[in-house]
Amino acid sequence: MELANLQRRYLDFTSPLFHEGILDNQFTQLQQLQDESNPEFVLEVVTLFFDDSEKLLNELTRTLDQQVVDFKKVDAHVHQFKGSSASIGAQRVKNVCMAFRNYCEEMDQEGCLTCLQQLKQEYFLVKNKLETLFKLEQQIVAAGGSIPMMW
Amino acid sequence: MGTGFANSKIESERVSDKFPVGMKILLVDDDVTCLTVVKRMLLICQYDVTVCAEATSALSLLRENKSAFDLIISDVHMPDMDGFRLLELVGLEMDLPVIMMSSDTRFDVVMKGVSHGACDFLSKPVRMEELQNIWQHVVRRKWFENKEIERSGSVEESEHNRHIIDDSEYTSTVNDGPDSSWKYQKKKRDSKEDDDTELDSVDPTSSKKPRVVWSVELHQQFVNAVNQLGIDKAVPKRILELMNVPGLTRENVASHLQKFRLYLKRLSGVAQQQNSFSNTLCGASSNAKLGQLGRLDFQTMAVSGQISPQTLAALQDELLGRPSRSLTMPSMNQPVVQQALVQGNSCVSFERGITFGQPLLKGQELSSFPVWSSNNLGVVGSSNNLGGLDASQNSNMLMAMLPLPQPQPHSRTISSESNHAINVQPSCLVAPTKPSDNFQVAVNPMLNHDSVAVPTQSSGSYQAGNAIAPMTQDSVVVPQSSTSMKMEKNDVKNLRSTILPSQSYTSISLGNNPGLVNYGSVTIPCQQANKSQSDKTFLMNHNSLVVPSQSSSTLKTQRDVLVNHNSTRNKDSTHFNYIRLPTKSNVVTSSMAQILDGDFHNLATAGYLAPETNTSDILLSTGSNTSWQLASSKGIIGQSNVHDFCNVQATDTMSVILSDKGEGKNLGFVGKGTCLPSRFAVDDIESPTNELTNGITYTGDDAYFLNQDVYGALQSGPCATTSYK
Repeated sequence: MELANLQRRYLDFTSPLFHEGILDNQFTQLQQLQDESNPEFVLEVVTLFFDDSEKLLNELTRTLDQQVVDFKKVDAHVHQFKGSSASIGAQRVKNVCMAFRNYCEEMDQEGCLTCLQQLKQEYFLVKNKLETLFKLEQQIVAAGGSIPMMW
Repeated sequence: MGTGFANSKIESERVSDKFPVGMKILLVDDDVTCLTVVKRMLLICQYDVTVCAEATSALSLLRENKSAFDLIISDVHMPDMDGFRLLELVGLEMDLPVIMMSSDTRFDVVMKGVSHGACDFLSKPVRMEELQNIWQHVVRRKWFENKEIERSGSVEESEHNRHIIDDSEYTSTVNDGPDSSWKYQKKKRDSKEDDDTELDSVDPTSSKKPRVVWSVELHQQFVNAVNQLGIDKAVPKRILELMNVPGLTRENVASHLQKFRLYLKRLSGVAQQQNSFSNTLCGASSNAKLGQLGRLDFQTMAVSGQISPQTLAALQDELLGRPSRSLTMPSMNQPVVQQALVQGNSCVSFERGITFGQPLLKGQELSSFPVWSSNNLGVVGSSNNLGGLDASQNSNMLMAMLPLPQPQPHSRTISSESNHAINVQPSCLVAPTKPSDNFQVAVNPMLNHDSVAVPTQSSGSYQAGNAIAPMTQDSVVVPQSSTSMKMEKNDVKNLRSTILPSQSYTSISLGNNPGLVNYGSVTIPCQQANKSQSDKTFLMNHNSLVVPSQSSSTLKTQRDVLVNHNSTRNKDSTHFNYIRLPTKSNVVTSSMAQILDGDFHNLATAGYLAPETNTSDILLSTGSNTSWQLASSKGIIGQSNVHDFCNVQATDTMSVILSDKGEGKNLGFVGKGTCLPSRFAVDDIESPTNELTNGITYTGDDAYFLNQDVYGALQSGPCATTSYK
């Protein structure tokens, strides 16, 4: 019953993520891509995402900190962030990126800085959630069970 | 799925059953996350995937081995190279289908993909369903190539084509009846038994044909061949022959040509906005040397031939009293104009030629035209009558020349050239200064395209023999004291250009000239043009301005009326009012009514004032907007032309106007302050029929006046200058 509990906990944890828009259908797609031949696929991709994102966030912080901000560069980074967050289904992060791009276009440094803050928040939030999710999954697998899927 | 899709025939027979399984894809994206996700998806679709995080490495991978991949999927925004650039290169060099992806799917981005030749555009995040169908792009391309092969007659029958689709095994996630669509495809394929397989092989004996690498040299050869043939006549077979490259097949050429055309179209669309072509020729000394020239340009000829009210207005602005203008050569990269010119056959590809030549030139330093001693020299010494010359390639320019009464010594920097067939590169100045006896252009496909040729002194004869193509397109030709200006068999001479045989131009003989002379151009035989002859009916001065300025002994214009365009086939002739303006006349003329044919709607009367000076004023034709379009050159000859009236500029010797008929539109002729001869005759207006033959539609403000034998009839009055008989 441990397993059942674990599984239930998993579901209880995961479904609000979707409801709150932290994760979207793309994440589900990723989960579908995972199979026996590739059992760690989601973890792999998400790890890549984390690494990439942290680099991007650092870059963004640095670029926006300059006296004269190179908005094109900022925009390029945000664009990339948008792409990668969309690819893993981090919906809120993606949304902030979209708003962020608008500020870049308008060359609004203040706006950009605000967005950057927001971006960091959302990013760390999704990161946190995902890490918990993976832990729960591991526990289920360790208990010999299979991960209940959301779709 | 080891063997992949583009393998040898034998292997493909084996795998073809499972098509598109094993299709080889090259995935390019700098975003590792995305790369991983898409790769995984593609693997699940049973494709064969190679990833690259950098465009440059992808390109080198491709260059090493084209046949290694069937399809490329690339991101748009990449740090080392723009995805569109990669797309372009792949398309040109390797002829592989490319799919673009981006999280940015704004209209202009997707449009850019389309214009650069992308097969498809996926938006990130990419979904599985979308990826499952991408094989269609590969197949489509192959089939198209197969059709070319088929046409070329060396088709290899491929049996395995029929078995390619195995409905049952392939699960398509397309929601709209995947099975039915599959079956349809299968049937299609079965029916294409004659088609070649997905292999490019034309030679039945070879099972696998290596893809052709379109290197710069090869491409240059290709371009040269196309130029020679003319873009519109360039068929793969002929191109292949001209290129004479061993191992190159007609189908290679065909597919390359297809892409090339697409490329051109895109470039021309871009070029239109660039507007940056500057001709050294003009700019330089134009001001100094040239007199004043009212410049009139308008786009009488555009592919769609519309003179918009704005254009007219712009023209008007220009025309209004701007005496000294510098010569400018606006950008020339405009999409093609027409092919219509003249006789449809010959000169056609000019403009296209230029158009595509140019970009190539710029981009890759390929010269599409044999450039011959292009002396980008300064200006053309114009005749005394010239003011600024304005030649614009794109538009039909009607160059308004303001003939000045005084001959002026011109200093020009010109090179002298002896008689050669000159093929002048666009926007060059060719100026055989020396008294070349014969400035000849024989068999010249294009002379002076958008340039200026100035056989300045005593050229014995300015001959354009056998020129098939528009001779001086958008250019200025100023034979100074040419004794004769002959154009034989010239289809179009002076397309939109200006001919200013300024001094003692003894004759303008347009013998055997089947084509159009002075299409949209201005001919100003200033002085003493003794006679001008034209043997056959042709259109002369179509939409142009003939300004015989001074004492031409014979400018036979019947009662100062100009010409009518008679072609044997045409019953209609349109007459134009040709207003000749005597050079020194200070007559204030009354308004001159244009007589136009009933078809013309607005014929405006031209009121002219004779200015004391020789400043040119311009007569504007304000008609309503009409656009005319010269659909085919055939049309011109012998067309009844209803030409729209084009404007005319006035100078003290100006004649002009043509009424036209255009599809009934405008034409207004508005004269502003020009001095007109005391008599203008405007009669002889026959009623042109409003028909456009051969699809030439003239709707525009342009009027042309046809100068034909009628010209001969023109009486020389005080301002008679030349007679064109």
